[in-house]
Amino acid sequence: MHEEWTDKLSDFLDGELAPDEQRAVESHLRGCAECAAVLEDLKRVVARAREAGAVSRPPQADLWAGIAARIDAPPAARAATVAPFPPKAPRRFAFTLPQLAAAAALVAAVSGAMAWQIAGRAPRVPAAVDARRAAEPAAPASDGAGAADSTDAAGRIVPVVMADAQYDAAVADLEGALKQGRGRLDAATIAIVEHNLEIIDRAIDQAREALAADPANTYLSGHLVEARRRKLDLLRRAAALTSESD
Amino acid sequence: MTLSADSTARRGLETDVALAAAGDASAFERLYRTHVARIHSLTRRMLGTHEADEVTQDIFVRTWQKLGQFRGESAFSTWLHRLAVNVVIERRRTFAINRERMADDASALDFVTVAPARGDLTVDFEHAIEQLPAGAREILVLHDVEGYKHREIASMLGIATGTSKRQLHRARMLMRRYLAEGPGANEKRHS
Repeated sequence: MHEEWTDKLSDFLDGELAPDEQRAVESHLRGCAECAAVLEDLKRVVARAREAGAVSRPPQADLWAGIAARIDAPPAARAATVAPFPPKAPRRFAFTLPQLAAAAALVAAVSGAMAWQIAGRAPRVPAAVDARRAAEPAAPASDGAGAADSTDAAGRIVPVVMADAQYDAAVADLEGALKQGRGRLDAATIAIVEHNLEIIDRAIDQAREALAADPANTYLSGHLVEARRRKLDLLRRAAALTSESD
Repeated sequence: MTLSADSTARRGLETDVALAAAGDASAFERLYRTHVARIHSLTRRMLGTHEADEVTQDIFVRTWQKLGQFRGESAFSTWLHRLAVNVVIERRRTFAINRERMADDASALDFVTVAPARGDLTVDFEHAIEQLPAGAREILVLHDVEGYKHREIASMLGIATGTSKRQLHRARMLMRRYLAEGPGANEKRHS
C-alpha cells in the first residue's frame, strides 16, 4: 500500500487538501487501483457513520428518575433570579417543594424589605379606614387568608386571622413532625427548608418590629399574617414530604 | 410530519424550554424524553455503553442548571448537543482518558472486532466504533457521525486541526478493516 498517498485520502475525501495536493492525489488515483480501492472503502466508512448518526437509540432503562432526584434540590438559586412579581396570566407550573419553598422565601424576604420601607415612610392609614375599622367587630377571617385586625389592651392593632396560641401550637406540631421525619429527607431538601424557614422567620420578626413602630399600618399587619401563613404552609409541605418518603 | 404539525411541535418545544427554564420539572421531563435518545447515542458512541447512562444523566442535570443561559440564538437541540459534547469531554479529562488520545499506540491498529454478528448493521457498526482507541473514536464520532468540522473539534478538544485530521484518518482506516473483514475477523486471524 502506498502510505504516502493513503495517508492523504481522508483529507482528499473531505476536500481538506490544498488545490495542488488535491490534483496530485486525483492523478495518482487514476493510475493506482489499490489506492482507489482504499478510497472507496473510506467512502463506505463515512457513509456508514452517517447512517449510524441518523439513528438514535434510547437507553435501555428509563434514566428520568435519577435525573429528577438530582434536579430537585438546586433550583433555589434559580428562583432567586425570578422576578418577585407574579405573572398576570395564570400559568400551569408544577413546582417541587424546594422550588415552592424558595419562591415563598423570596417573596417573604422581598416583602420584609418592603415592610421596612413602608414602616419608615408610609403615611398613616386614612381616617376613613380607621373609622371603618373601629366600627367593625374583631372577628377571624373566614377563609384564613384575609387579615381582619383587632386592638389589644394597649390599643395596638394585631392580626386575628389566627390567634397566637393556635398559631404557635400548629407551628410546634409541624416542627415536631418535621424533626421526627427529618431522617427521611435528603440533606439538600432539609437545608433548603431550614434556610427558607429562617428567611420567613426573619420576615415575621421584621414585620412585628415594623408594626410596633406603626401599629395602625394595615399593610404591615397583612404582611405579618401572610408571612405566618407562608411559614405554616412551608412546614405543612415539608412534614407531608416526610410522610411521603415512608 | 406536516408543516403545520412541525410548527406546532416547535412551538411546544419552545414553550417547554421556557417553562423548564422557569423551574417547571414536568416541562423539563418532556424535553428529556424528546432528546434522550440522541444524547444517549452520543455518550454511548463517545464513551462506551458502560458509562452512557450515568453521563446522560449528568448531561440532563447540567442542562437543567444551565437552562437560564439558553438565549435561543441557536436551536435548543443544537445547544443541548454542544453542552452534551462538553460534558463528555470534561468527563474524559476528569478520568484522564485523553492521556491516550494522541498517543501513537501501534497496538491500536489491532483493535479487536469481536462483536458478535447481530444481523443489525447499524448496531454492529456502533459496536465497532466502541472498540476504537479513545482518541480515534472521539474524533470519528464528532466528525463523521455528529457532523462537526475539524476546526470545531480542535477548539472543543484543545488540539491542533492537523491532529484532529490525523486521528480521523486513523479511525477510518481501522473501521475500514472492520467493514472489509467483518466482526470477529481479527479474532479469527489471531486464533
